[in-house]
Amino acid sequence: MAGPYSGVRVVDTTGLAGAYATRLFAGLGAEVIRLEPPHGSPLRTLAPFAESIEPPENSLWWAYLGMGTQSVVVDPDDGDALAQILSEADVVFEDRLPEQSPITADLLPDTAIRTTIVPFGLTGPKRAWKTSNLVSWAASGVLYTTGFQDKVPVAPAGHLQLALHASAASALVGTLLALRARRTSGTGQEVEISMHEAALMFAPETGVPVFLDDRVHRERSGNRRDLGRPFGLYPCSDGFVSIIVLMPRHWSAMAEWVAETTGNETIMEEVFQDLGVRMESQDLIDTWVEELTVGRTRLELFTEGQRRGIPITPVNTVSALVDDPHLQAAQYWSKTQLPNEVEVTVPGAPFRTNSDWWNITPAPLLGQHTELHLG
Amino acid sequence: MSNTTSQLPLEGIRVFELGIAIASPFCGRLMAHFGADVIKIESQLSPDVVRIIGSAWVRERDDLAAAAPDTSPYVPEMNASKRSVGLELKTDAGRDAALRIIAECDVFLANFGARALTELGLDYESVAAVNPNIVYVQLPGFGSDPAMPYYPFVAWGPNQAPLVGLDDFTGHAADPPAGIATVAPPDYMSALHAAIATLSGLEQREITGQGVHVDISQFETTLALLGPFVMDYDLTGTIHSRIGNHSSWGAPQGVYPCAGHERWVAITATDTESWEALSSLMGATSNEFDSADHRMSQREELDRIISDWTCTFDPHDLAHRLQSVGVAAHVVSTNEDLLHDTHTMSRNWYQVAPHARLGRDVFSGCAVKLSDTPGRWTDAGPSLGQHTREVLSDVAGMSDNEISELVAANGAFEQIEPETLVSRPWNDWIHLFLPGVDDARDL
Repeated sequence: MAGPYSGVRVVDTTGLAGAYATRLFAGLGAEVIRLEPPHGSPLRTLAPFAESIEPPENSLWWAYLGMGTQSVVVDPDDGDALAQILSEADVVFEDRLPEQSPITADLLPDTAIRTTIVPFGLTGPKRAWKTSNLVSWAASGVLYTTGFQDKVPVAPAGHLQLALHASAASALVGTLLALRARRTSGTGQEVEISMHEAALMFAPETGVPVFLDDRVHRERSGNRRDLGRPFGLYPCSDGFVSIIVLMPRHWSAMAEWVAETTGNETIMEEVFQDLGVRMESQDLIDTWVEELTVGRTRLELFTEGQRRGIPITPVNTVSALVDDPHLQAAQYWSKTQLPNEVEVTVPGAPFRTNSDWWNITPAPLLGQHTELHLG
Repeated sequence: MSNTTSQLPLEGIRVFELGIAIASPFCGRLMAHFGADVIKIESQLSPDVVRIIGSAWVRERDDLAAAAPDTSPYVPEMNASKRSVGLELKTDAGRDAALRIIAECDVFLANFGARALTELGLDYESVAAVNPNIVYVQLPGFGSDPAMPYYPFVAWGPNQAPLVGLDDFTGHAADPPAGIATVAPPDYMSALHAAIATLSGLEQREITGQGVHVDISQFETTLALLGPFVMDYDLTGTIHSRIGNHSSWGAPQGVYPCAGHERWVAITATDTESWEALSSLMGATSNEFDSADHRMSQREELDRIISDWTCTFDPHDLAHRLQSVGVAAHVVSTNEDLLHDTHTMSRNWYQVAPHARLGRDVFSGCAVKLSDTPGRWTDAGPSLGQHTREVLSDVAGMSDNEISELVAANGAFEQIEPETLVSRPWNDWIHLFLPGVDDARDL
C-alpha cells in the first residue's frame, strides 16, 4: 500500500524543532503543507549551502528536512488565506506559545490535532524561556557529563541538533497517538512537547533516579569510561575505534588478539581476567591495546575484531559512512534532486517494511504549492 | 476539546516485547503509558541488563539477592507499566507458551539480534505463521538481512553512537572526539522510530486488515539525522566534524564558566536581537561586534570576553537575568540542580507509582503529553516474573495445572520470594523533593 497516513493533511508552521517530524510524516504518506512567510522558512537560511543555487533555495538543511512537503506562502496578515488552509487540516504543528500564535482555536476544525513544540512546555515557571539545541542539553543534565575533565563540557554531536530532532520525533509519536485516539473519540486534541523534557528523555543513564540510587556525582570522563577496560575510544591509523569489553569472553578474545598481533604474552596472564585488576592497571591495558590499534585502520580493526566476537566499531566520520561497505551493499543511501537538477546523496528510509510505505519527493521551491491550495 | 475520560489511544492493544536495555524497552514503555498491555518476556538464563545491574544499596545485601533484579532504577525507567512474564524461550515448552501469547497480541516488538530471533524461531515468518496480521517491529543492530556484510556483528550500546557518527561530531575541534557514551542517543532515537513504525503499522492494519514487518536497522535509522552533512560531503567533499559548542549559524554560542567549582552557563545568542540583549546586559560600550560576520569570525575572542563576564556570576542567577532579556540560556544542570528545579518539579517530570517489591518507586515521566488522553503509570516495576501466571492464564488460556507443569519443567518461572519486601533508603523523604507525594509515614 501507499504510506499509511496518505489522506491525512498536515499543516506545519515550525522550524527546526518540528521539521524532522513532518519530513517523516510526509515519507509515510501524509500531505504536509509547510506555511512559509513571503521571505521563506527560517530553515532556508541554514548553512551549509549548495553552490550555484540562489537563496532561498540553497540551504541543504532545507533541501533535506523540507523533503516530501509542499510550500505554501501565506502573508502573516492574510487571515483569510490562513483560515482557508487550516479549515481542512487534520494536524497542525507549531513551535510557539498559544498567545504568540496566529492560529486561534476557531480556525481549526474540532477534529484537528494541534501539536505544539516549545522550549520548556506550556506550563511552569520557565514556560516563556527560550532555548536552543545547546541550552536544551544544558538543562537536561546531559551536557554536564559530556566532554573531557580539563575542558569545557560539550553538547552531544552539537552540529546535528539532536535535541531538536528528539523533540520532533516525540511530537510525531504524540500526533500519531492522537490520530489513533480520534478513531474512537471523533475529536482532535492537543499534543504538547517540551524540548527540555525531550532532552531529559535521553538522560536516564546520567539522570536523577539513578543518582538517587548511587549518590555518585557524575563528572565528565572524556572518551573512556571506568566501567571496564578496554572501554571507549582508541586511536588507530585513520582515526579511532570504539571498544567495549565488559564480559569475560570479550576480554579473552581481546587479550588473544593483542597477544597474537603484538607478541605481548603478559596480557594473556590469568590475573587480567579480573575486571578489578584491569581497572587498577588501566593505563597499562590501554597502552597494550593501543599497540594493537595504532598501526591499523578503522575498518581492519572493525572487521577483524568483530570476527573474533569483540564489541568493536569504527568511530565513523561522514565520509566513512557514505563509503561504508555494509550501507553500500544494503543500498541504504538514497538520492534527492536539488533545484538545479543536481542529484545528491541523502539518508534513505529510516526503516524497511514488507509493505511499500516510504516515498519522499524533493523539497519544494518557495511558494511552489501556493497556487494549488490558495489559487 | 476536553474530554479526559476518553479511552487511551492504545487501549485494547497487546504487545509482546522481547527487549534488552533501551531501544525496544523504551518504545514498549511509551506504548504501555498510552494504554497498551505490554507483556515483557524475561529470562533468568540470559536476563535483561536492567535485571543484572540491581541497585547500588542492595549489592552488599546477600539477604536481598532474590529482590535484587527488581531494584535497579533502570527497571521503571525502561519498563514502567508493563507486565513481566518469565519464559525460557530456548526450551520447547517455553517457546510454545510464547507462541500462544503471540497469537493473542497485536504487536511483536524486539531488539534481540536478528540471528538470535531466528535461532529462537521467532523471526517474522514464524511469528506471522501463528498470527498473520501482527505488526512485527524488530530493531537489530545491523538489519535482518543475512546477506548483508555486518549481519552477524555484535551491536553493543555504547558502540552505537561512535558507529553512526555521533562521537566524531562531539567535542572541541582541536581535541580527539569526546565520545558521548555516557548517554545513548541512538537507542532513544531508535525507540522513537520504533514507536512511529508501530503506530504506522497499527494504522495500516486499521485500513487494510493486514499486518506488517518493520525492520529497523539501528545502524541505518540514526543516520537519518545526518542528512545535510551527507549532502555536503557528496557535493563538495567537505567532511563536517566536531565544533565544540559553537554554531555554524552565528555567534556567540557556548558554555561559559561561572562562580564556583564546575559551574557553567550555556548561552545561545546567535541572532541579532539576542546578541544586542546580551551585549547590553554585559554593559558593552564598543560596537566592535555589531556585525554578525565579525562575531562569527572573531568568535573565540568573543567567547573570551563573555567568559570574563560570566565567571563572577552564580549560574542560576545569570541564566534568569539572560532569559529575562530574551536570551536563550540555562545553567549546565547537575542532578543536584534538577532535584531543586522548580520548573521540572512543577511539571511532575519525576513520577511515583506502586511497585510490588519496593512499595513505590521514582522514575522519569514521558516527554509526550496529550491533553485528552494523557497516559498513565500503573506500576513502577514490574518485578521479574511478577505476571507469569496471570498472563499465561488470562492471555494464553492455560490452566493452573498446565502453568505449574511449565514452571516445573523450567519453561517458565514466577517471581522469586514475592514476600520479600524492601523500601528504598530514600522512600521516607520522596515527598521532600517531589511535591504532591505522600509522606511515607502517613501511608
